[in-house]
Amino acid sequence: MNFRKIFILIFLTYICNIPILFAKEINIYSHRQPFLINPFLEAFTKETGIKTNVVYATKGLAQRLKAEGKNSPADVILTVDIGRLYIYEDMDLLAEINSPILDQNIPAHLKSKRNTWFGLSKRSRIIATSKERVKENDILRVEDLAKPKWKGKICSRPGSHVYNRALMASVIAEYGLEKAEEWATGLVSNLARRPQGNDRAQVKGIYEGLCDIAIINNYYFGKLKYSEDPVQREWAKSMRLTFPNQEEGDRGAHINISGGGVAKHSKNKESAIKLLEFLSNSKSQKMYSEINFEYPVNVKVEPSEELVSWGNFREDKISIEKIAQLSIDAQKIIDRVGW
Amino acid sequence: MKMPSLKSESFFFSSTLIFSFLFLSPIIALFIISANNSDGIWEHLLETVLFKYIYNTVFLMVGVIFLSLFISIIPAWLISNYDFKFAKFFDWILVLPIACPAYLVAYAYTDFLEYAGPIQKFVRFFFDYNSADEYFFPEIRSLWGAIFVMSFVLYPYIYVLARTAFRKAPLSLYETSRLYNKSTFFSVGLPLARPAIFAGLALVCMEVVSDFGTVEYFSLETLTLGIFNVWIGMNSITSAAQLSIITFIFVISLLLIEIKSRAASKFHDTSKRKTYISLRKLNSQKSILCILICLFPPFVGFIIPVLILISNSLYAFDYEPINVFIKPFLNSILVSFLSAAFVVLFSFLIVSYSNETKSKFVKTLAGISSTGYAFPGTMLAIGVVIFIGFLDNLINSIDKYIFIIPNNLYFGGTFFVLLFAYIVRFQAIGFGSLSSGFQKIPQNLFSASRCLGKTFLGTTIKVTFPLLFPFLIAGGLLVFVDVMKELPMTLLLRPFNFETLATQTYQYAHSELMAEASIPALMIVSSGLIPVFFMNKLLRDI
Repeated sequence: MNFRKIFILIFLTYICNIPILFAKEINIYSHRQPFLINPFLEAFTKETGIKTNVVYATKGLAQRLKAEGKNSPADVILTVDIGRLYIYEDMDLLAEINSPILDQNIPAHLKSKRNTWFGLSKRSRIIATSKERVKENDILRVEDLAKPKWKGKICSRPGSHVYNRALMASVIAEYGLEKAEEWATGLVSNLARRPQGNDRAQVKGIYEGLCDIAIINNYYFGKLKYSEDPVQREWAKSMRLTFPNQEEGDRGAHINISGGGVAKHSKNKESAIKLLEFLSNSKSQKMYSEINFEYPVNVKVEPSEELVSWGNFREDKISIEKIAQLSIDAQKIIDRVGW
Repeated sequence: MKMPSLKSESFFFSSTLIFSFLFLSPIIALFIISANNSDGIWEHLLETVLFKYIYNTVFLMVGVIFLSLFISIIPAWLISNYDFKFAKFFDWILVLPIACPAYLVAYAYTDFLEYAGPIQKFVRFFFDYNSADEYFFPEIRSLWGAIFVMSFVLYPYIYVLARTAFRKAPLSLYETSRLYNKSTFFSVGLPLARPAIFAGLALVCMEVVSDFGTVEYFSLETLTLGIFNVWIGMNSITSAAQLSIITFIFVISLLLIEIKSRAASKFHDTSKRKTYISLRKLNSQKSILCILICLFPPFVGFIIPVLILISNSLYAFDYEPINVFIKPFLNSILVSFLSAAFVVLFSFLIVSYSNETKSKFVKTLAGISSTGYAFPGTMLAIGVVIFIGFLDNLINSIDKYIFIIPNNLYFGGTFFVLLFAYIVRFQAIGFGSLSSGFQKIPQNLFSASRCLGKTFLGTTIKVTFPLLFPFLIAGGLLVFVDVMKELPMTLLLRPFNFETLATQTYQYAHSELMAEASIPALMIVSSGLIPVFFMNKLLRDI
């Protein structure tokens, strides 16, 4: 009786594992939404014949991968920010990769020193201002957001969101903890309302007149501009896009990356590397800006016409790894000032 | 004759023990990861945000307790005492909000009540205001907003139990109170219904503490949100686990206080006479008042949000073909059905044995193995992942020598993990439903059966099972509805390429595709309607 039960159990687990056994497939743990990566994955399968399976979740995939250990079916990890990539590396979940193609396509400041993770697209944290109520050159730097002049004028999502935390880290990197905290205090005292909502909601706030200034990721502007919803297109029309810190001698606009790596215990490392290489090639890099208004990391690839029309900008060339390392300090400041 | 009895008892004993341990393991896993050094994060938390987190959580919980009690007990009393038009219909729709996930109701109301929403637009148009400074309008994205949303979604947990308790109170007590000219509500109804009301309230409190969707959407800094800030922001799963355990202990001690205070005032109604209160007819004015009072909670908690979803969904099929929603729908039904069945099975086993046994250890173990509900879903999912990982490694190391299974993942990432996680989380519902069922069965029935020479197994089959059957089904239906709504655990634990309605709704809503999101959302709500209907019917007649 008991043996039969055990047998059935084994048989069932067997069945569940069949897709993993016959691999010309790779398994992806993704923090990036499926509908954003599916076009890439379809193209990848078409080109290489390698099928892809995806689990998407915003939180906890690193813990899942860690707990699964060497039994894990995961091959590739994809994230939408440096913070989480760094956590994967920190938890020793990523394999070191030797790929001349990746080395060639991705500049040094956008990948890990140990060749474990690689940036695949860039997004800039920009300042959105009301076309009506803010003059064109009134805000040129992130530092300006802390000026008392803007009391009650700024909208922001909570500071503890990964994008704001990374911005905070970039300010720490520039000025050190003390001055960075002063900046954050100034920013918080200028907020028009309690931090809430996502980046889109901030542009909406400008459109409605709740605030005049907001901090958003650049691609939200594109998404709103080409939204299916006519009201959202109006939101985009009400705002002006400013790449901060562009003046000569200044550090350039803060950027974050979406990126990926290969799981340490992947059983299909070769195919997994192929996917990362595919995502960094010129065709895919072009797609990033066409599908999601993100900037290519591959220096040989030009951004899409739409992105070019928003203006050229210079990026903060600080190593993205440094930003990730300062993340905890950034969160502490955010907690202290109540952003 | 002695042998089979012993054998079946030891079978029950060992399986109760094993399953309780199994369901407790993810919680133990969380305790284990919390037993690490947190690198001074606590000092930082104490200095900065911890008290804000606690204050907000307590405020939210107290607010939801009061509001949900208010909007559930009054209709429950009216429905169980008075006869007015459409009373049966209201009895049904009062339970409907239970089919709506709180986060969906939060999305819908935010659209509706925020500055750009139709209500405020109308206010501005009507009074000729131009900006937000010129008039006062309550902010939906606030603690008060969350209290509002959660109370109107969660009150049915209290309503269902309170109504049944009111109806089943012995008539003699009501008559006595009338003789002494005392309020039947305050002197009889409320005290007698107290255990039922608190049982419902316990579920409400656990839901509030573990909710992430609503507080994240409203950006409210509660303990649950704090757990994620510490975990993701400070890269410290240790401190996150510690924080969630503190929350957990907080909720559990509330429950214990309640159970202790209830133990002092236990009573058994052994007269199985049909002497329950008869409904009193009302005149038409009072009827209308009753109708309005009973309409209000489901109107706010169900009708308005569903109407908003429907109006959002009108254009959805322009963007997405209908077959995109079919597979997630089938997946949702499948996981909900299976988890409901297993929860019912296991909680029947555990509850009936822990009622029988004298061992305090087993009783306590059974109790705490059904507390998974008090953890935020994602944290519990982390516990599950760690436990399953451990199990897989164990199997793997044994398997090296006997080699039955190819070197691969065994349970991790499979459908079983998801199912297991649902059972761990929703065991509380099965356990609660059956325990309250047990309290209603006179203990002397069990003793009588045993005196007549039936074994424990025989008693269980002949006496316990038929008497508990309605509670089993009611609990199962509630689990079904809850799994349909469940999001954070499903998101993290599901196998590759596996979507449910909840994960699909989430993904659309996350990209602000509200039209598309409202289709799976409506499917979640409507799949819950039939179970809710039957559950309500069962619990009414118990």
